[in-house]
Amino acid sequence: MPTPDVNWLAIGPDLAMALAAAIILLVEVQWKPRARVLGLIAAGSLVVAFALSVVQWLIAIDAVAAGSFSELSAFSGMILMDGFAIFARFALLVVTAIGIASGWQFFEGLGRRSAEGLALVLLATTGFSLMVSSNNLIMLFLGLEIGSIALYVLAGLTREEKKADEAAIKYFLMGSFASAIFVYGVALIYAGTRQLTILGIGDFLSTFIVGSPGVILIGIGLVIVGLGFKVSAAPFHTWAPDVYQGAPAGIVGYLAGVAKIAGFAAMARILLTAVDDFDWSFLPVIAGLAVLSMFLGSVMALVQSDVRRMLAYSGVAHAGFILTGITGLSADGILFYLAVYGVQLVGAFAVVAAVSGPGGSSSDIGLYRGLSRRSPVLAGSLTVLLLGMAGLPLTSGFVAKFGVFSDAWFNGYEWLVVVAVVASVIAFAFYLRIVVIMYMEDDDAATIAVPGMVRWVLGIAVLATLIWGILPGSLLNIVADALPL
Amino acid sequence: MLTALILAPAVAAIVIALIPSRRAEVHLPLGIALSIVPLGLAGYLFWVFEPVAGYQHAVDAVWYEPWGIGWTLGVDGISLPMVLLTALLVPIALGASTSINKRTKEFVVFTLLLEAGMMGAFLALDMFLFFVFFEAILIPMYFIIGIWGGDRRIYASIKFFIYTALGSALMLAAIIGLAFNYSSEFGATSFALADLMQVTMDQGAERWFFAAFALAFAIKVPLFPFHTWLPDAHVEAPTAGSVLLAAVLLKLGTYGLLRFNLALFPEASVDAVPIMGVIAVIGIIYGAVVAIVQPDLKKLVAYSSVSHLGFIVLGTFALTSGGLQGAVIQNVNHGITTGALFLLVGMLYDRRHTKAIADFGGLQKVMPVFAGFFLFMAFASIGLPGLNGFVGEFLILIGSYATLPVLAISASFGVLLAAIYLLWAYERVFTGELDKEENKMLVDLSPREIGLLAPLAILVLVIGLYPAILLDKIGPSTEAVLDHIESSTDYEVPDPDRLDDVFTAGGDS
Repeated sequence: MPTPDVNWLAIGPDLAMALAAAIILLVEVQWKPRARVLGLIAAGSLVVAFALSVVQWLIAIDAVAAGSFSELSAFSGMILMDGFAIFARFALLVVTAIGIASGWQFFEGLGRRSAEGLALVLLATTGFSLMVSSNNLIMLFLGLEIGSIALYVLAGLTREEKKADEAAIKYFLMGSFASAIFVYGVALIYAGTRQLTILGIGDFLSTFIVGSPGVILIGIGLVIVGLGFKVSAAPFHTWAPDVYQGAPAGIVGYLAGVAKIAGFAAMARILLTAVDDFDWSFLPVIAGLAVLSMFLGSVMALVQSDVRRMLAYSGVAHAGFILTGITGLSADGILFYLAVYGVQLVGAFAVVAAVSGPGGSSSDIGLYRGLSRRSPVLAGSLTVLLLGMAGLPLTSGFVAKFGVFSDAWFNGYEWLVVVAVVASVIAFAFYLRIVVIMYMEDDDAATIAVPGMVRWVLGIAVLATLIWGILPGSLLNIVADALPL
Repeated sequence: MLTALILAPAVAAIVIALIPSRRAEVHLPLGIALSIVPLGLAGYLFWVFEPVAGYQHAVDAVWYEPWGIGWTLGVDGISLPMVLLTALLVPIALGASTSINKRTKEFVVFTLLLEAGMMGAFLALDMFLFFVFFEAILIPMYFIIGIWGGDRRIYASIKFFIYTALGSALMLAAIIGLAFNYSSEFGATSFALADLMQVTMDQGAERWFFAAFALAFAIKVPLFPFHTWLPDAHVEAPTAGSVLLAAVLLKLGTYGLLRFNLALFPEASVDAVPIMGVIAVIGIIYGAVVAIVQPDLKKLVAYSSVSHLGFIVLGTFALTSGGLQGAVIQNVNHGITTGALFLLVGMLYDRRHTKAIADFGGLQKVMPVFAGFFLFMAFASIGLPGLNGFVGEFLILIGSYATLPVLAISASFGVLLAAIYLLWAYERVFTGELDKEENKMLVDLSPREIGLLAPLAILVLVIGLYPAILLDKIGPSTEAVLDHIESSTDYEVPDPDRLDDVFTAGGDS
């Protein structure tokens, strides 16, 4: 039997992270080193994964320029190395790296269990990285499950905390339910097309006229619902506030960021490359979900008194804005938005974790009173990041929103753009509320020391928000090459 | 050159931000010193400005090619006065802020950032760039009101922010729509004003876009019935904030209507003349009537703003030479006089910590210089001949009489009402018996305060006596606006030569 042709480069990044996860666990058993050592191993694997992704990126650009697309699929068409996948992985890796850094206090605080935490983070990223680069719906589902299951465990990693327990169980139940719906949708799409690869489905649908597309349509619908859960789009968002609030503060930003990036990347790939011939059927649905998410997210965020819940609802609103990008059929706009938002989210949660303090679970908005006095670094960074999420000009958030809005308009969804700009104004109100409390009210509570790692994370997140906002070309030029095959 | 004008205050803000907070005593003086730089640049710009139509000192750099957005700047006779006004008022506003005693550093930084944003908005000739500045201005202003404002500052700052953001959000949608129409017509994406002006639209789309732009600017101006944020913002804002808000920020609305609505949507603008004219006149009368009954001096000035800005909008939509020239010059005049009035109210508040008219009386006995300045600025605001307000309002009224006679006549009552509210306020505050014990100890203006007011007073006289210094440079650009409207619609400007020589130098007719 001939050995199958293995394209090591295609899975190199994922392999690096999975191996590192195993090494971390083994090293922990054998030598019981300090958490710092384990952290360095994790960081090293991320660097390797990043470097390999850069190599893939260069190859992908050359291959696209030369028109040899077959080079970009590996493992009999299971894995794709197209720009879309690689860029999504870049975003995942960056969010993972700054996520670990911002939650470093939390990992250290886990004591002997820090190895578990780090290994789970790496595994989650591995799963999601496979998910965004898979060309096969089964493969995609596997990646989704590897990532999701790791996240369920991470959410409940602090077993002692009752709230974390609740969050983990809720996340697990809702999430596995969503996965089931998703996989049922995949089955129906397979039933309708007898294809499992994304490119195969696309070819099939553009070649043949499907006489009775009912099965496929239901399949698409279920896939949207399943992924809608993962990205917390309304009305499938109900888990998000509880999980964001209950899960350990140090890890929420990471958890939320990677789930959104991977979920939307998968959704965009399936909808825009596999079943794009049916866009007449799902775009109105997506637009409806977008409207619901934007308004429900913005309005509910207004009435929250807990910053984490507020960020959860703001995440729902952002899901709506990204869905707007799908109605614009703009893969690059969505990727840009995801990268930008992921970085802002991790940065914002780094501040939340620092304000709540190690082990602190409350992030009541009252804790932020007068923060500009007590910790100018935290308050200033959070302000920039929130203004970025709000989408004010000169921040990356504005460029991202502008991108998806103009794509939606160009694709004929004018009304959705009008609705979306109004929703973003509602969203201003709750971002401003936090800013008001930090800057315009005084409090004599103790100053908050900012750990060195968090300073770095915030520096990176704030700089990225401003640089991509002022010189959008610096990232947009890269995203422009990140097209799905 | 123009880039430097935007970057100078931004760089100054960064420099100040880098000075440690504990050196609190250097921030304000250094801020004032650095804000002289843009003033010098603006003065130079004014000096070398050629009185011809078209944009001068144009800058056109690509920002992000695939989206067709650019760093496109230019100055013409419509934006030049605004740039000058901005550059002049920022040092004055900073100079009037010595009573700011908490977080001086942030205050100076935000004020300078505000200046950079305003310069950018007045100079931008790319819709994307304009929107960026237009919206970015909200952030520093929001902080200025929210941190250094009065008791209800938080309510006022959020109201200010949400109101104006809502207007501009719809404008953003319209900008995207315009760019879409451009790209489907010409096959390339562009946000440059000059490109978007060539777009042909069907009537429905043009009217929607016009409405979105007009709404954004009407909220900014603010026109009745979108004015409700203004009194709150003004009353709560610190003196410097009020001055810049009234003198410059609101002008973005009137400037935007003139620069963008008329240029981009000539057809819809002509159609909208009756609506905009009526709204403007309602604003004039309503603002004036409400101003009469205000018990609070600052609120009175704020409502007088609503009234005066109505004149500018009326002049704009009169679509005549006189109307447009009057609108532009009245932008400047209102900035000077209302800015000065807010400064004066602020100075009074610093001494007495109240703005209620009823708390005063007979002040001219203890503060004669202050009373003199107040009366002078009130006269300028009313439009006494020989002072600047007269030039603008006269041009606007004559200009709009040609096309909107009924509205022009109604608007002229606004002038009368202005005399009532300002002089009555003067009477109650400054004349009569000095009967309140607290008022007997008030000290007159210090040399510093006189130094802040004097340049404004001089400008009031200069523009009032020799308006050609501005009108010469404004005229060609406003004529170009009218030419553009005439060439793209059936509209005919009635007798365009009639007013040319009323005020301009060398009027030999």
